Amino acid sequence: MFRLLFARRSDWAAFTVACVLSLTLMSLGRGQQERAVWFIQHTILSPVNAVVGWVDAGVGVYWENQKLKKRLAQIQMEADAMRTDRVENARLRRLLDLSQENPSDLTAARVTARSLDRLGGSLTIDKGSKDGVLPERAVITPEGLVGRVERCTAHEARVLTLLHHDCAVAVRVGRSRVDGVLQWEFGDRPTLNLLYVSAREDVKKGDWVMTSGLGGIFPEGVRVGTVAKVGIAESGLTKEISVKPAVDFRSLEEVMVYMPEGSGHGPRMPALEAVAPDSVPAPAPPQQNAASPALKPSPEKARTGPGTQASAPGDSANEEVR
Amino acid sequence: MKNLRDVFLLIIVLILQGTIVNRIAIAGVRPDLLVAFVVYFAWMRGPVPGVACAFTVGLLQDLDAPGPLGLNALAKTIVAFLVAKAGFRVHRSNLGVRFFFFLFAMLVHDVIYFGIYTGGELGAFAKQFLFVAIPSALYTTIVVLLLLSTAERFSRTLLLTDEV
Repeated sequence: MFRLLFARRSDWAAFTVACVLSLTLMSLGRGQQERAVWFIQHTILSPVNAVVGWVDAGVGVYWENQKLKKRLAQIQMEADAMRTDRVENARLRRLLDLSQENPSDLTAARVTARSLDRLGGSLTIDKGSKDGVLPERAVITPEGLVGRVERCTAHEARVLTLLHHDCAVAVRVGRSRVDGVLQWEFGDRPTLNLLYVSAREDVKKGDWVMTSGLGGIFPEGVRVGTVAKVGIAESGLTKEISVKPAVDFRSLEEVMVYMPEGSGHGPRMPALEAVAPDSVPAPAPPQQNAASPALKPSPEKARTGPGTQASAPGDSANEEVR
Repeated sequence: MKNLRDVFLLIIVLILQGTIVNRIAIAGVRPDLLVAFVVYFAWMRGPVPGVACAFTVGLLQDLDAPGPLGLNALAKTIVAFLVAKAGFRVHRSNLGVRFFFFLFAMLVHDVIYFGIYTGGELGAFAKQFLFVAIPSALYTTIVVLLLLSTAERFSRTLLLTDEV
């Protein structure tokens, strides 16, 4: 009868058997169930468990690897951001030092754009006439002279850097007190040239060049660069002098605009003697009492204001330079 | 050959259930691929293989389950049998049909499982059904339909269709 039943109703028979087996297992006592489970797990299922454990470990390693990669990327980004902040912090500290030395003379500004044309040579800063920034104001950094404000709107100003042909600067060689005009020339080999220096004047490679204050735009004593190359012009009358600027114009992010209606002392730059001539100078720490004797203006200049008159050879500032 | 393939597929599902499923839990809700496999197997193969598979898979699951030994086996056996009997009248390749068929089968499974597991206590049963059974059934259905559609796209030989 069972065979007949299984032959005709195999589906029902299978179902019944499975249900009976299940119910039987369920009706077993707890100890018997545990023994049955132990038996199945340690005989039939041990290879399956081994495979599952092996795959699980593999999947776990993969999962953990993905998580760690993601975490590593996050940490890398954080580290990059921190590194950028640290560099910016150092830069701002140096600006702050300079600003604290000259509290009423300088206004900090951030470079918001650089010139897009091939000749380059100009910057846009985020301070304008509302902040007291007007055309013909000198723009400096702790490293040295950047250029001058060409024109401005209420909240922005365009700065012509030394690397612009229209930004000529009256300068002086620090060692020999030789005056000249520094101008960018965009020829076959673009260079910053010190012009109008007689062939007999004493100028050597490595000499520091600073603003002379002549012309009334740039305050006296701001570092401009170092003499990189000295030669004689074809005419034999003047020297051909190339100057390496002190400021790295490619990495400018913050600058200071000089405000002559402040205290009138002019910016006090770090001492020239402390800096290697052929390298971009590192700023000296701020000093309480006239940080740089080389660049500290004389009392007369303090009264008259920088850039308002030429400094004659032999005055106190010049003597200190020597 | 067909039986070997079924065993191979079952092993893959067991491995997936033991490895991946724990890692794709959402708010504690995990898909139950074994129930889905039983439903699909019974639907495609018919009552006898379906019931045999359901009992075996249920028993395997009982080894690790908190309930009494045989409870999963019983629940899966009943569901597999019902699915196999009802599945002949259902259009198998339609996505909507598949969705409701899987969902309904899994809910029936959970009604049986939690009904017995909670000993007929209505409050506990309702809690388990609402917070475990329904989310798990929905999650499982979605996962299974995604797996099926992926498998169908890449290889028809992986599937059990039209072999009853």
